[in-house]
Amino acid sequence: MAVTLLSVSEDLAGALLRGLASVLPAPLSGWIADPTLITVLAVLLFCAILLGASMINTIMLIWFERKLLGRFMDRRGAMHVGYAGLLQNFADGLKLFRKHTFRPKEADSLGYYSGPTAYMVTSIILFAVLPVSSGWSDGVLPLSLLLALAVFSFAPLFIFVSAWSSNNKYSLLGGMRSAAQMIAYEVPILLAVVAVVIVAGSFDLNVIVAEQQNYWFWGPLVVALVVFVAGMLAEMERIPFDLPEAEAELVEGWNTEYGGMLFAFFMLADYVRALIGSILVVLLFLGGWTLPTYVPAALTSFPLAGIAWFMLKTYLVFALFVWVRAALPRVRTDQLLRIGWMRMIPLSLLAIVLAAALVLVKCLPVFGCVPTMGG
Amino acid sequence: MSEMWVNMGPQHPMTHGLWNLRVRIDGEIIVDVDPEMGYLHRGIEKISEDRHYNEVITLMDRTCYVAGMAWEHLYIIAAEDALHIEVPARAQWIRTLTDELQRIASHIMWYAAFVQDLGLMSPFLYGMRDRDLVLDLFQSFTGGRLTYEYNRAGGVRNDLPNGFTDQTRKVMDWLMERFREYDALCLGSEIFRRRCDGIGVLKANDAIPLGVTGPMLRAAGVRRDLRKDRPYAAYDQVEFDVALADAADVTARYLVRMEELRQSVRIVRQTLDWLDKNPGPVLADHLPRWLGAPYAPVGREGYLLKRNYPQGVGFSSVEEPHGEAQAYVVNTGGEHPYRVKFRSPVFANLGAAKQYMIGYRVADIPPIMGSVDICVGEVDR
Repeated sequence: MAVTLLSVSEDLAGALLRGLASVLPAPLSGWIADPTLITVLAVLLFCAILLGASMINTIMLIWFERKLLGRFMDRRGAMHVGYAGLLQNFADGLKLFRKHTFRPKEADSLGYYSGPTAYMVTSIILFAVLPVSSGWSDGVLPLSLLLALAVFSFAPLFIFVSAWSSNNKYSLLGGMRSAAQMIAYEVPILLAVVAVVIVAGSFDLNVIVAEQQNYWFWGPLVVALVVFVAGMLAEMERIPFDLPEAEAELVEGWNTEYGGMLFAFFMLADYVRALIGSILVVLLFLGGWTLPTYVPAALTSFPLAGIAWFMLKTYLVFALFVWVRAALPRVRTDQLLRIGWMRMIPLSLLAIVLAAALVLVKCLPVFGCVPTMGG
Repeated sequence: MSEMWVNMGPQHPMTHGLWNLRVRIDGEIIVDVDPEMGYLHRGIEKISEDRHYNEVITLMDRTCYVAGMAWEHLYIIAAEDALHIEVPARAQWIRTLTDELQRIASHIMWYAAFVQDLGLMSPFLYGMRDRDLVLDLFQSFTGGRLTYEYNRAGGVRNDLPNGFTDQTRKVMDWLMERFREYDALCLGSEIFRRRCDGIGVLKANDAIPLGVTGPMLRAAGVRRDLRKDRPYAAYDQVEFDVALADAADVTARYLVRMEELRQSVRIVRQTLDWLDKNPGPVLADHLPRWLGAPYAPVGREGYLLKRNYPQGVGFSSVEEPHGEAQAYVVNTGGEHPYRVKFRSPVFANLGAAKQYMIGYRVADIPPIMGSVDICVGEVDR
């Protein structure tokens, strides 16, 4: 079995506690080197590493977007804090953190505070089920894809709760738009995923990646990819589908009334979801951490090669989202819903039919053969 | 959901200034609108009565802060009319040039703000970048980038610097290429067409009684352009076409303004050629001393002249970037104008909001209001 993140943190916790035990006097050392305690600490370490890595990546994603967007717009983006503005977002986060947290007088306290928190938490939880490389998680979750999508689709509820409880007309309009949009695009996303699942024969993300050994799914399942990416844009509420927070008409949409750290929660959770969207595209369609077999082995055998290639692909997918943001205007609510219900769903059904045909045909001239069903 | 009033403004990203659009919405549908202006009223007309004729120009720059030169021109024609001052030909051509440069700057600014409202972020910055070049040109001969104080009763303050015409030609060439990019980013985008086609329709029959002018009127197919219909400065000597469209919607207004940009470049090139060939004075001789620079010492003969100076009224109408602006100046023989009155085109264009907004959606408000090209400074004055 390959080294997993959990085993790494178990080793780390064990070394830490045993080291402590060797220094401490007799009765204490026995309690500290207890295997249960080691496991508990290992799980905590696991969570801390995961949280830290995902947060740093999210913040770097914001930096990446700012720089890339700057280049698209003929300017340089953040430049002053840290090298090439690398620390700008940390500075911004610190500033928001230091701000006074307030609540509008008429806002509902429970919803106002719990909305952003739940939105943030449900977004971060997703990182626990997404494998980043073959040594990340050892496939204990046979339905990890389903779980990821299920948690992903909690968002409209929390957005609507926080929008409604802010007691602001713009927030309410934004929240309703957001709920309608996310629910409308949930369906085509799931159907597009079904196409992938049909070909891969599993809901386990590890298996789905393993099934892409011969060819990545984006080629034969290009219709599903298009539907999935467009649906993800809507789920992330990015341009051209960012109308829940269309600043020109709704000020800031459903987070109009939020400031300080609660606003930072929304902002960060948005980018966490953007990161997760990019990761899902990579996992489902771009072969995850694998490279095509004709690539020289030197490129895939260096330490942490899987994570490196995975990150590269993720950031490239995100660059596509940034490019879309730089180039397109936003659509209108009714147009968005019409696209969702009348274009996306038929397209995703078509994708399912194509996937089924692919499984029947088994081999495609350019791409090669599908592995046996159920991997 | 029941109907509710939403205040879009006075602090709202859509307003582009300080005004309030009250919207009554049923879900996402606009049932009623009520534009409220007056938040930016500075009493420019009243202040003008306490100022020397040339000092009013300072206020004109601040009337519409994106089209200062056009408003200077508007006022100065009326003032010269009231004061019976003849303007040398070169000054007239320079005013034509500055008017058109200002139209380019203003229309690019409009483009940037309009696409920003639609969520297009890159063209916004492209627009601001290209407008900067025009502002640089202004800076090279007026010293100001937004408030110029360049016109004077009897001409303009100073002649153009050496090399200005060549530099301007280069900028015009650059801009003509950029306009193509602008079109590609907007008209080439399916989403843009879906957002703008058939939105905010204001037909000629509704527009004319409400006093709507400028690109909004021309987008409804009405061939009305003061530069052609009632030429001032040197507009009767330059060749250009009146930009027209007939769909009367947001896209039509976009098309009209983009065509006006190209026509403005055409006019600018002609004026540059003329200015290269015809040197001469830019300020009239024998001006009364009391008209001179603000706070300049007023000589004895100045007061004598003033006392004997003929009275009169002056009227002017100018095709400002936003529409038809008009000015009325009454000279009763004092060193200050007795009364100054302006007509703002945007005030009338905004006042017609009920005609072109009811029935559309909340999401249509930014493109519709963007296509009006609001400048609240001149609405409230």
